[in-house]
Amino acid sequence: MKTIIRKEVQLLLKEKGTFFWLFLLPILFIVMFASIFGNIGGKDIAIQYFDQDKTQASEQFLNTIKSIKGFELKADADLTLDEQLQKIKDGKQSSLLVIPKGFEDALKSGSAKADLDLYHDATADQEVAPIQAVLQNIATNYREGKLNSTLKALGKTEAEVQQILTPPVNINDIKENASKLDMVSQVVPGYTVMFVFFIMISMVRSFIKEKESGMLARLRCTPLKPLSYLIGEWISFILIALIQCTVLLAFGHFVYDLHLGDVFAVALIVLSLAICGTGIGLALSVWVQSENQGIAFTQIFTMGGAIVGGLWFPFDLLPDAVQIVGRFTPQYWAQHGLQDVMIRNAHLADVWPTLLILLGFGALGLALAVTRFKKFMLTAHN
Amino acid sequence: MSVIEVQGLTKTYANKQALQDVTFSVAGGTCFGLLGPNGAGKSTTMKILTGIIDGDGGTAKVLGLDAKRERGQIQRKVGYVPQEITLYDKLSAYDNLLFFGELYDVKGKELKARIATVLEQVGLTDRAKDAVQTFSGGMKRRINIAAALLHQPQVLILDEPTVGIDPQSRNHIFNMIRQLKEQGVTVIYSTHYMEEVEALCDDLAIIDNGRVVVQGSLQELLDKYVQQAIFVQAEEWAELPAFTHVKAVHQEQRGHIVETDNLLETMQSITQTALQQGVNIRELEIVRPSLETVFLTLTGTSLRD
Repeated sequence: MKTIIRKEVQLLLKEKGTFFWLFLLPILFIVMFASIFGNIGGKDIAIQYFDQDKTQASEQFLNTIKSIKGFELKADADLTLDEQLQKIKDGKQSSLLVIPKGFEDALKSGSAKADLDLYHDATADQEVAPIQAVLQNIATNYREGKLNSTLKALGKTEAEVQQILTPPVNINDIKENASKLDMVSQVVPGYTVMFVFFIMISMVRSFIKEKESGMLARLRCTPLKPLSYLIGEWISFILIALIQCTVLLAFGHFVYDLHLGDVFAVALIVLSLAICGTGIGLALSVWVQSENQGIAFTQIFTMGGAIVGGLWFPFDLLPDAVQIVGRFTPQYWAQHGLQDVMIRNAHLADVWPTLLILLGFGALGLALAVTRFKKFMLTAHN
Repeated sequence: MSVIEVQGLTKTYANKQALQDVTFSVAGGTCFGLLGPNGAGKSTTMKILTGIIDGDGGTAKVLGLDAKRERGQIQRKVGYVPQEITLYDKLSAYDNLLFFGELYDVKGKELKARIATVLEQVGLTDRAKDAVQTFSGGMKRRINIAAALLHQPQVLILDEPTVGIDPQSRNHIFNMIRQLKEQGVTVIYSTHYMEEVEALCDDLAIIDNGRVVVQGSLQELLDKYVQQAIFVQAEEWAELPAFTHVKAVHQEQRGHIVETDNLLETMQSITQTALQQGVNIRELEIVRPSLETVFLTLTGTSLRD
């Protein structure tokens, strides 16, 4: 068995395709998706404005917006108001905040209402929503300022004013997770889990090649026991999958500051995942009739499982029906277990269902492979 | 004493009868040729002997062990060289040999020594560390054979080991087989090249369409199935005159084949007649008996058809 393991690991390490499929491609995916989605949270929201009032009040209002973290003001001095509104109509700009003439006068008068106009593209509701929220918030602050002045004018003390203005309901935002959920915590374990299952292609290729080249027939006339061959091949691919997971998670940790959490728990999930992926690969390798058939099955299983298992998008964002299907995939359980440890600071005692389910899939794969292996060997006589 | 005994062996693949009542025996320390065209049943017979597949009927015994029931013991005593080159191209010759040696439970220093020995036997010591994918076809075939010798088998079974190789590699293989035979190894050599059987084998069986057509020593078969003959070419003799001891005469493109039961007297008769008639004989030679003729006589077809 040791001989088979050493041979297979040697061959895999000499195969350039192994590095591409198992290491380079997943790293490229991680870099690409972490770069795309990782920046969404950190990018400031631009508020395009047009100040017709050009007064101290309008300037103060704009400074208030400018002081809010996450927003930046942008003005296009070269274009007229009509030209900018036309850009919105043409879908080239999502919104425009207009401070109309008379804004300061309306504020000072106290009786008139100071209007602000927010023009926006009807199809860009999601983009405009944060701008609407921040403007609403500023308007509320103006109202509170006005109330404050009025109450003081009526002879109320500062303490009484504060008591009156304190909202009756306060929402406390408490995060239960010890670590923050960001796209790195989704992308790195997601693509690690997804690409572990791509090892099934290498397994199918190896088994079919050994069969078709006559090697398997030759091995049959050596004292090597068939089961030793099968287990030896399996262990070698488990080792490769373990190396693959270690490289990908280490890459996420050192390059993207991925929080690993309980490393022992992560290690056991990775081991179970490797056993699971290669166990299914083992079954596939001895059941398929050709390499192309094996590659097709692998792609359906890998891509399908990645989508419904929540490897590409957070699982909670998936439709209910897809979530139900997803819970039957090993990909879901692997990702769920890794995120439990990395985001929710779970430990071994918390992730044992994940370990059992992944090992169960692996054991099922082995059982199916053993059932079929005798027939596979008999067809390998060339 | 027979090292291999095959009795009434049959094997069917799907609808094709690959072997029909195949019977032969191989004496220890000899080189036994299994001669026949492609698809005759040679490889199937060898795979049954090595335990790769089971026969449907009959028995096959190697070193007194039943190929079906005592496969494990046979595998430790037999070396098998398949028709295909079954090596890992990306690994070096040394790593390939290390792999096969360990499968036969040869380990440590003993394995290293055996690898050195077999590399020397096949003449590839200087290429040991090179990847097999850089080797020529002939060199790959030599390593293919070397992999079957690591556990010092008592019986070596080679299935068409010289297909598509260069003369240098062929000579290496032939010399190696002769050396092994001298060391007491019994060799079974399958081929469809009669020249190889004539060059290497003590005994042979001709196999065609899954049946053993004939078995015996090379000389026995030639004596039994090939009529002695003389080739004669003389321009003046469009038709040959009568000579003594002649059995038959066949006209060939360049001359005549004269079958005889007494080579010397017929040859003397030809020369005397030619001298008397003043005929200028251009060629006069004894036709070398060949297995091709034996095969043609027994099957009605040429081995190369």
